[in-house]
Amino acid sequence: MNDLNFFQFVASRYEELLGLTLQHIQITGLAVLLAILLGVPVGIWISKNKKIRSPILGIANIFQTIPSLALFGLIIPLLGTGYVPSVFVLFLYALLPIIKNTFIGINSVDEAIIDAGRGMGMTSKQILTKVEIPLALPVIMGGIRISTVINIGTATIAALIGAGGLGEMIFKGISMASNNMVLAGAVPTALLAISVDKLLGMFETKLTPEGITSQKDDVQNK
Amino acid sequence: MIELVNITKSYDGKINVIEDLNLHIDKGEIVVLIGESGCGKTTTLRMLNRLNEPTSGTVMIDGEDYTKMSKIELRRQLGYVIQKVGLMPHLTVGKNIEIIPELKGWDKKKRKDRAFELLELVDLPPEDYYDRYPHELSGGQQQRIGVARALAVNPDIILMDEPFSALDPITREQLQKELLKLQDELEKTIVFVTHDMDEALKIGDRIAVMKDGKILQYDTPEEILKNPANDFVEYFVGKDRLWKSPEMLKAEDIMHKSLVTVGQKRSPAQVIEVMKRKDMEILFIVEKETSKPQPPIGYITRDNLREQGDHNVKMSKICNKDFVTVQHDSKMTDVLRIMEDNNARYLPVLDDDGNLIGMITTASILNLITKAVVDEEESQ
Repeated sequence: MNDLNFFQFVASRYEELLGLTLQHIQITGLAVLLAILLGVPVGIWISKNKKIRSPILGIANIFQTIPSLALFGLIIPLLGTGYVPSVFVLFLYALLPIIKNTFIGINSVDEAIIDAGRGMGMTSKQILTKVEIPLALPVIMGGIRISTVINIGTATIAALIGAGGLGEMIFKGISMASNNMVLAGAVPTALLAISVDKLLGMFETKLTPEGITSQKDDVQNK
Repeated sequence: MIELVNITKSYDGKINVIEDLNLHIDKGEIVVLIGESGCGKTTTLRMLNRLNEPTSGTVMIDGEDYTKMSKIELRRQLGYVIQKVGLMPHLTVGKNIEIIPELKGWDKKKRKDRAFELLELVDLPPEDYYDRYPHELSGGQQQRIGVARALAVNPDIILMDEPFSALDPITREQLQKELLKLQDELEKTIVFVTHDMDEALKIGDRIAVMKDGKILQYDTPEEILKNPANDFVEYFVGKDRLWKSPEMLKAEDIMHKSLVTVGQKRSPAQVIEVMKRKDMEILFIVEKETSKPQPPIGYITRDNLREQGDHNVKMSKICNKDFVTVQHDSKMTDVLRIMEDNNARYLPVLDDDGNLIGMITTASILNLITKAVVDEEESQ
């Protein structure tokens, strides 16, 4: 097998690699999706409620600082191995950037705009949905983007506890001392991260309200 | 009509930032709240739309306690314009104006028609501005949109919190003028907060000077200038302000009040004697010499008397009866014009009954100028 060069190796394992890539996308996708579903509301909540802000951000920070390898190890006694605990750990990792960016996005909306909105008779809910969220959306999207890219990398380690994905190929390659195999796992992972980042970037631009996009252009032109 | 009754406001339960404040604002008038920063003027304004809640006391709008309405309902009945404008950057000018109409469920056409009408009103051609974004506009244009937005659902009352303070002086003056023009058309009740006395005098029908959460004086601009209630008001208004606002000055403010008149039956010798004693060049003739004001019959000068040969003639016969007068409440600017047009060095000032109560001379004008200049030097 060592006679094959990298491209030949990839070609020979084409189907397996494709399957692992899809699995990889599925794990990270699900983890990020869950993190968005929890993180965005939590981010909005802590932007409105000062008391719970630091405890929540503190807890999210702690998960972020535990080395991923250790966290995957720690989860085994609690949830065992396989798909569910892997997604759970990745979800924890994705949470902080999303919570933090949502909070920052909402919190950095100009106070004068909120004041004007309240003063002219918008309800808190209307201010949130019509003013704060639209204005915070680019920043929230930024958080989702960071989470996703980090998660694509971290997900390779999840293979250790049996999540599958491209990490499986990398670890197999390490144990078999096959550079081709390691690369066959690592290169698609990197490509995946880059392309998802680009894709979400485009999405972010699209979500940014026109009035703000042109405002940024203005500043850059000046 | 807005009425604040015994309003007290405390943020921390210890210090009252507003202390037992009473204020009555009539329909259709512009009331300016003015004072140094921290005097409670903005807090007072924000209590009117319940962005701040009074700690105690009641606010009545058109005779009804405003807590009977929901906050949202109340705010939609009051226009609100703030210093930082606060336009939604992600919405076009048109959409900004249409926020509340949209929330109120107006249909698209009605909303757009209203936005066009309002843009027209604030002098921004709707075709050019409706689809633009706030950041594409200058500060002055943005605040025009701010005003248009406040008028969107045609509220009777507009609250303005230092709306023009962030603008350059030329734009500010322009918007002040336009606000007054707008007010002539729309006759809203406007509560206007500022720290700028010039602005207050220009805009206000009445001015409430505030300090430490209390209203020190609530009066017309003229009264505030002429009869400041206490030292602080006088200091805040600026001592020299009256002399720098000729449009506020009236004939009676600058006339000589220690008036010397002579009766019509006096002889030339007696009159010359009076002139010498009082060091006057000119005297006005009245019917009788009493302390009561009377209508002037004519005037006589030293030169007239020198040329006079007959020593027994009465003043009523020889005095000049052709002279111009001004009313006591004539504006300074009119007084100056009359003096110039008639080449008059002396201008008798009459009260409402046509009695002579004072005289304006070229010296009074000189005094006025000196006062303005000296005050300015002192304040520097």
